[in-house]
Amino acid sequence: MAAVHGDVHGHGHDDHHPSGIMRWVTTTNHKDIGSMYLWFSFTMFLIGGFLAMGIRAELYQPGIQILEPELFNQFTTLHGLIMVFGAIMPAFVGFANWQVPIMIGAPDMAFARMNNWSFWLLPVAGTLLVGSFFAPGGAAAGGWTFYPPLSTQGGIGVDLMIFAVHILGASSIMGSINIITTILNMRAPGMTLMKMPMFVWTWLITAYLLVLVMPVLAGVVTMLLTDRHFGTSFFNAAGGGDPVMFQHIFWFFGHPEVYIMILPAFGIVSEIIPTFSRKPLFGYSSMVYATASIAILSCIVWAHHMFTAGMPAIGQLFFMYATMLIAVPTGVKVFNWTATMWRGSMSFETPMLFAIGFIFLFVIGGLSGVICAIVPIDIQVQDTYYVIAHFHYVLVSGALFSLFAGAYYWIPKWTGRMYNETLGKWHFWLSMFFFNLTFFVQHFLGLAGMPRRIPDYNLQFADFNMISSIGAFGFGLTQLLFLYIMINCIRGGEKAPEKPWDGATTLEWTHLPTPAPYHSFEKPPVLK
Amino acid sequence: MNKVTEKQTGAIIWQIAKAVMFAFMGIRKKSDLEHDAATLKPAQVIIGGIIGAALFVIGLILLVRIIVN
Repeated sequence: MAAVHGDVHGHGHDDHHPSGIMRWVTTTNHKDIGSMYLWFSFTMFLIGGFLAMGIRAELYQPGIQILEPELFNQFTTLHGLIMVFGAIMPAFVGFANWQVPIMIGAPDMAFARMNNWSFWLLPVAGTLLVGSFFAPGGAAAGGWTFYPPLSTQGGIGVDLMIFAVHILGASSIMGSINIITTILNMRAPGMTLMKMPMFVWTWLITAYLLVLVMPVLAGVVTMLLTDRHFGTSFFNAAGGGDPVMFQHIFWFFGHPEVYIMILPAFGIVSEIIPTFSRKPLFGYSSMVYATASIAILSCIVWAHHMFTAGMPAIGQLFFMYATMLIAVPTGVKVFNWTATMWRGSMSFETPMLFAIGFIFLFVIGGLSGVICAIVPIDIQVQDTYYVIAHFHYVLVSGALFSLFAGAYYWIPKWTGRMYNETLGKWHFWLSMFFFNLTFFVQHFLGLAGMPRRIPDYNLQFADFNMISSIGAFGFGLTQLLFLYIMINCIRGGEKAPEKPWDGATTLEWTHLPTPAPYHSFEKPPVLK
Repeated sequence: MNKVTEKQTGAIIWQIAKAVMFAFMGIRKKSDLEHDAATLKPAQVIIGGIIGAALFVIGLILLVRIIVN
């Protein structure tokens, strides 16, 4: 980071804010809204996790134990929807709200009132999703990808899901416009684009991706809605429509969505690795280029999710090659993180452990992704537990681990208190152990042919399923430890030093006191 | 005079092409990056990136056609 000038302690007089419930309802403060996003996403994470526990309890042994098949399908569907749209995405927006302004020297987000509205749409959508379990016929049960004809045949639960997705999409688009405008217009003087922290860069590119693809999702669920209630036949072959067209439109949104959930994770890890290696990020500009490159490529690979849906060989080859090429910029990133650590003065506090765990496990998820990209292999493993294992390595040990890393890294700045380091390390090692116990064996299940989204299975799959379920229960309980660590930190943690991480170089650490005041950077810092 | 201008335009197009090509791989030498930052406008790079992405797609389709045939 460039040399900076500013009064680190000149913010205390601004530290006043409204109190009571109305503070949270009417707030336009980016820190309050960031906190609400993070608490909301963690709540949804616990609900989605509860559904996952239900799934794994049912799969603990063969036969129908505790969930009827209809309810099992609802659990798998809502687990995916809640985790993707209710937990991971809002959590990253929470980080963006807290961090982007204080990392670029801005006083707040560009559209502060719209920011409030973006957040308060979320509990409405979350309530619709969770409440759909109690609707006649239960929740949507056609999988988180809600392919027709299942989604055109479901009950009112599907309508509630469609409405929830609309609302979540609107919230995401507003949040993205806010982030783009803030980054492009409110940077401190002297902070050129190529001096921005990597987290800010990754969010800028992610926000553009969101603006590009969320309207596509809104379009496809609207088509679904009109097919269900207004007599259209977009996806109904009997009426001249095409159900495969749904898959194309959905995945044109769906694959960039994967990168929407992983690019901010790259950003968080790119802040943490240099801090705890006490070295600047290796190849900063190449990281920016690689992020942009991944974003562009992510828009031309969607049909690799549909190799078995019927596609000419020329299409299969095109999407296979394009998908495999994404490994190049992703490999550049992994190389740069490794090179940053090389000969660094490394220390292994909890954020760094989660960041290294992220790299290690994300590479496994990326590798199985390249394997799935190969058409003849994908045709074998399509809709098996191999695919489940692959994307949980990307989204749990990728996105979720980076969120944990970011929470431990910035909680001293947010609260002015330190978390319990010993418990943090326990959280990491237990998460590592139970995560791999849960998901690594699912590769074997998938290769042996166990299909996804089934409540019962052949005896040959029993042992690995039992291991996976034990791992899942352990992983779920471990996340309650995270909740305890965070509450313990907020309510009674030791006072954090002004700069707990000596290798940190971004503005929030060099230019703001700890904890960050309620109003910060009302006068922008001057950067050289 | 016109010849010099044409040469300059050609050089800028080549520079944009190189910047985009290296960006697709995710690597760039620091000195080249600084030269790009000093001489290229963001709009030029974005337009170059869109054209690059289109050429990339066309190239892949051609490659696939050659293989299939």
